[in-house]
Amino acid sequence: MKKYTIIIMVFGLAAIVAGSGCRKLDVPPKSIIQDQDVFGSSQGIVAYMARLYSELPIEDFRYSPQRGLNMFWIISPTPATTGEALSRDQTGSMQENPGPDWNIWSGCYTAIRDCDYFIQTIPTYAANYNADTVKRWIGEAYFIRGMTYFALVKRFGGVPLVNKVLNYKPGSAVDSLQVPRASEKATWDQVDADLTFAINNLPEAWTSDGKNGSRANKYVAAAFESRAMLYAGTTAKYNTTTLFDASHNQVCGMPTSEAAAYFQKSLSAAKMLDGHYSLYLSGWSATDKSAQYQNFVNLFFDAASPENVFIREYQYPNSVHGYDAYNVPRQLIGSNGYSSEVNPTLDFVELFDGLPKNPDGTLTTLDAGGHYLLFDNTMDLFANAEPRLRGTVILPGDQFKGQAIDIRRGIYTGAVGGGISPLLPAGSRAQYPTTNLVTSSTASQTAYKLPNGNLMNPAGLSGVFTGDQTCAISGFSVRKWLNPNLPTAQVLENNETQTWIEMRYAEVLLNRAEAEAELVSLGQGGADLQTDAMAVVNQVRTRAGAIPWTDPGTTPIDTIRKERRKELAFENKTYWDLRRWRIFSKEQNGRIYRILMPFFAANAGPNGQYFFDARTDERNDVYTYDPRWYYEQLPGNAISKSPNVIQNPGF
Amino acid sequence: MKRIPYILLFFALGAVSCSKVDNLSAPSCTITGSTVDEGTGNTLQTEIGGGGTRLKLLETSYDSAPVPLYFQSMQDGTFNNTKVFAATYKVSVEGPFVPLVRTDNSGNTISDSSQTIQLKSTATLTFKVQPYLRVEWVGDPVVNADTTVTVKVRVTRGTADTAYQQDLTDINLYVSNTKYDGNNNYDPRYSTLTSYSGSTGTALLGQTVTITTKGGALAPQDTYLRVGARISAGLNQYNYTTPVSITLQH
Repeated sequence: MKKYTIIIMVFGLAAIVAGSGCRKLDVPPKSIIQDQDVFGSSQGIVAYMARLYSELPIEDFRYSPQRGLNMFWIISPTPATTGEALSRDQTGSMQENPGPDWNIWSGCYTAIRDCDYFIQTIPTYAANYNADTVKRWIGEAYFIRGMTYFALVKRFGGVPLVNKVLNYKPGSAVDSLQVPRASEKATWDQVDADLTFAINNLPEAWTSDGKNGSRANKYVAAAFESRAMLYAGTTAKYNTTTLFDASHNQVCGMPTSEAAAYFQKSLSAAKMLDGHYSLYLSGWSATDKSAQYQNFVNLFFDAASPENVFIREYQYPNSVHGYDAYNVPRQLIGSNGYSSEVNPTLDFVELFDGLPKNPDGTLTTLDAGGHYLLFDNTMDLFANAEPRLRGTVILPGDQFKGQAIDIRRGIYTGAVGGGISPLLPAGSRAQYPTTNLVTSSTASQTAYKLPNGNLMNPAGLSGVFTGDQTCAISGFSVRKWLNPNLPTAQVLENNETQTWIEMRYAEVLLNRAEAEAELVSLGQGGADLQTDAMAVVNQVRTRAGAIPWTDPGTTPIDTIRKERRKELAFENKTYWDLRRWRIFSKEQNGRIYRILMPFFAANAGPNGQYFFDARTDERNDVYTYDPRWYYEQLPGNAISKSPNVIQNPGF
Repeated sequence: MKRIPYILLFFALGAVSCSKVDNLSAPSCTITGSTVDEGTGNTLQTEIGGGGTRLKLLETSYDSAPVPLYFQSMQDGTFNNTKVFAATYKVSVEGPFVPLVRTDNSGNTISDSSQTIQLKSTATLTFKVQPYLRVEWVGDPVVNADTTVTVKVRVTRGTADTAYQQDLTDINLYVSNTKYDGNNNYDPRYSTLTSYSGSTGTALLGQTVTITTKGGALAPQDTYLRVGARISAGLNQYNYTTPVSITLQH
């Protein structure tokens, strides 16, 4: 009976409330946040902006071509698609997948709509704020919209430009909502227009965030303008795929004659940062290689770095990643059981200075007689390596978190008199012979008794294990971004908050050099541009501890590209560079990447010595990049929603 | 127990609304035929999967600018699809040959050899095309003393149109243990892939090119060999020889 009493009471109360308050029924529902609640206060605007920034499509710690943006699970890492590295979970070239959690196409249009809505609505509430503040906020919305169009055009070519909110009224025709793809040129020009608007309306710095933070300012917009226009220029220059729609709009490809104007815009934008940002040099010394190395490591961790142009911050537990968990060397594995997903290839390591090399540029591992060179320690081979290489890659035997990272393929027990001949013929893709080799299939090893009586595990603590690829399968492990101060107990998925640096000044310098060299190659600039390009590349090289660039050579563009691949490696940039240079399908044309396997020769010297075998990936994983992928396949639902949106060629 | 009548009511409502079955019978028409090299009359060898020849159907009875339907050709250049709806289609093929539908550099159609068909039951179509390259065997593969295999091929241009006479970039000998041998399916241990830059590859046109498998002795099993070559045109697809089978005994 109690129930009825309560019901009667509720009705009674309702009658009282209704009787007094409900003279007017047309009131906004209390359960839905209204424009007034968001746009009426600066706290509301902050919340709206936080959402816009979280939607900003950048390839950060939570990106992989396999699973798209904003996905925590990074076990098919981007560098394992570009030749920078090998991963046990990535076995070849790939086209980007749209992503399960945050679909790139529909996610970008959600972000664009949110920007449009802000730009359209804020003027109504402008009286609440000072005019300058409103101008800055609108600049931010344009920045995010321009960045979002950039994310679309670099993937798909021309896309629908939707610069005002589309409203669907139930029952009405949808024709006006089915916006066709704009031409690729019009889309790049939209990126240019939005970022230029941002440059003109954003402040030099936000008092709340400083100049090196995660909020866009004038220079952040300029830095991205330099990147976007460089992408546009190289696409115009190198692309060969074209697609026209029925009304002769070129949705894929641009006339090559457009390239120079884009390069000029890239150069001008890059120069705007002059004097406002600089390379991180706080611990650097011109004469001390280990200081140069440490400086390069610290660059990714110092929040006060003057090199940080635009960063993405994380916060536990709301926004986290697991970079270390996936990528620590095997011997420092965390309790989630992941490790060593990114194993740099020998092809990548050979790009760097300070290594003994053969005339063809490959690493020297054999003596003049064709026998293996012998070393007491694995690090001896890398004694003069460029400091930036050590800051980017964990070399076999190098120190990390106070340990020597132990990488060894096996113990060679054969005779060493007269030198050790290569285990396999040059270029062979066969398995290693089993005679004279002691190896280990997993991390639980049985030690081998050396001739001097000492015991040694066949494989290193971080691999290589023949039956279990959770190890340094290439002979190297990645170093960049790994936090040297993170305790192993904290090396967990969805637990890390290390900052992602999306744009650093080194890239701006390299954008500038590349734009200059491209302008020179198009006959649009003289010796002064060439000189400036070399000077800015040398700023980067000097900081890296690399050999300065003195002779322009016959292919300066290639020199700049190589520098870019070294400096920005493992920052998810090379994937896009190889695409926009249209060389992905040339580099990955039946390619099997090379690895470097350290072996311990038990009978060499009094206590045994190491030798290195350079060979192709033991798994024989072939990388072939399909040229169709330069323009990605549009998601099927984008086309089924609008017959005016046409598919890219070949899909 | 009170819920049951509601559940029954729900199903009863469902039964009432489904008095008409909105079901179209399954597609049953057939499009079959082949893509033929105009110069030799042979069907044009291609690759299975997304990197080879495919048919493009535009259902013009539905819409003047329909979303295209595609289906893939077989490796030997023939095609057969027995599950197509009866309708009017504009049909063309896309692959490693001079495109049937060509546009100039401002998007105007300058030639179109698509075929329009009113499909009622079966349509047999032949598309005569000019392949970018013709890749032909010269003699039979030779098994060497070390159980590698040497083949000879000749690559020539399949078109006189200079717009499709770019430099030859690759000649590859593919080794596989199935006949579906091609750039997307080969054994990397034995296949010999050669890329050419500039005009070095082009200089080999018309010559007899000798290629030997690599990686030492081939395994004693059925082995299929096929040679593919390409120029840098269109989607950079390969033209192929026929696959040939050899059985190696040790």
